[in-house]
Amino acid sequence: MTQDRATIMPLGDSALLVRFSDTLDDEANRRAVSFAHALENDAIEHVLDVVPSLVSVLVRYDPRKANPTRLAGELSLRLRANPVVGDNHLHRIDVHFGGEDGPDLEDVASKLDLSTQAFVEHHNAASLRVLTTGFAPGFVYCGFHPEHMVVPRRASVRPLVTAGSILFAAGQTAIAATDIPTGWHVIGRTSFRNFDPARMPPTSLRVGDLVEFVSAG
Amino acid sequence: MTTLLQIERAGPLTTIQDHGRFGLLQHGISASGPMDRGAFDRAGRRAGAADDSGIEFTQTLDLTVAGEPVRIGWDGGVFRARINGLDVPWPHSTVVSKGDCLSIIPGPSGVYGYLRFGKMLELPSVLGSRATSSRSRLGGLGGRMLQAGNELTLIGEGLPPQHITDDPGTDGPIRFIWGVHSEHFSRDVRQHFATATFRVSAAMDRMSVRLIDAENVFKGASILSLVSEPVMPGDIQILGDGTPIVLMRDHQPTGGYPRIGTVISADLDRFAQLRSGSSVAFAPVTVEHAHQLLRSSL
Repeated sequence: MTQDRATIMPLGDSALLVRFSDTLDDEANRRAVSFAHALENDAIEHVLDVVPSLVSVLVRYDPRKANPTRLAGELSLRLRANPVVGDNHLHRIDVHFGGEDGPDLEDVASKLDLSTQAFVEHHNAASLRVLTTGFAPGFVYCGFHPEHMVVPRRASVRPLVTAGSILFAAGQTAIAATDIPTGWHVIGRTSFRNFDPARMPPTSLRVGDLVEFVSAG
Repeated sequence: MTTLLQIERAGPLTTIQDHGRFGLLQHGISASGPMDRGAFDRAGRRAGAADDSGIEFTQTLDLTVAGEPVRIGWDGGVFRARINGLDVPWPHSTVVSKGDCLSIIPGPSGVYGYLRFGKMLELPSVLGSRATSSRSRLGGLGGRMLQAGNELTLIGEGLPPQHITDDPGTDGPIRFIWGVHSEHFSRDVRQHFATATFRVSAAMDRMSVRLIDAENVFKGASILSLVSEPVMPGDIQILGDGTPIVLMRDHQPTGGYPRIGTVISADLDRFAQLRSGSSVAFAPVTVEHAHQLLRSSL
């Protein structure tokens, strides 16, 4: 079922997936995030969970109560309304770039033919959008950087980087809120933690929010 | 009215579980909860459980009771249980008293067993649940596996125990719904998947179960990288090297590998109880059929 280029498909017997694109692009991401926020703001009966991701939205329902055909119908009606939700929070994230906090900074800057200082300036020049969450507790992907700031991932995966690591690859900057393995470049560190299991919700950055990275020296 | 349970021995992956920590996938936390939900519920009804928490164990579990008596119910797979050296039936429930030793060892089938109690486990709720997430290291006893030396406190009073009929079990293929990327696989590969026999590998835990694809269903069927999306328990991912892997209760929150199908809710318990080396086949069903099965099991 296609509505405005979105596809609604079953994901097992307890969820539907609304996919806006097969490839990652800014417009599909914005549509997915807006749609998820709209569903959260105006809940559908028997829907238990709305999970936005890069270009799709997972809608988990109660399989003992919901009728998936009716639910898919309701979703496609709402897709037609095509809500665009704006007015998202701006977060300032202080980052120590380079040195022990960012062992890959020099490597990344030289790949882009920039001095480390110029790289940090370009990196922080514009605020980024939280494109998606959910990879790990409190983990966020922010993007997009302009084309001249795109590098691929590292050739090898680091088995563990610590919480607070600022990661860079694929035209995006990510913030690790817990210790994780990663193939992304570690360019800096923040004391900000987007995960607190003692709070509900446990994270403060939401998809669609704006993030401004600030050099803390 | 306090009872203490002293853990003397615990098999790998022994954890505190409850019905799960739902609604946090977008914060990066999968729901956890029992690998065999049906057995967990049956053990709870046998015990007259006062809350929705219990112990999930594998292979072995020995514990000693201190303090007030408590009813314990057990179910899941077929293990061998003894109290003070005397055989007791599996599944079953009984009241244990101060000094009693419950000892469980593997039986003829199953991977996960459950103990539920006619009292409440005194443990803090983390983000709305006491289920242990082995991935996020949250819940249960400090997010960790249970091990010898741990002590659990039970408080309060339970409900009357229920007599329940043993689960007759279901045979046959594990049923699934074609997945969100099934169109990326050729018709031949899809047909082969629905007729082939796989084996459960030794690489299995609460996060996932890897399968051995001896018939090479997915050999050379690799698909280029996909945009990552939320995943659900039961999703059957095909890794880059063609290995099929079924995601379980402590699954990664998101995934970028193609998913050919998703095991239906009614069959995920049964799949979780398959031991390493077991043969397993998969059969496609519709969402409507999966829902009928769920509703008829109420």
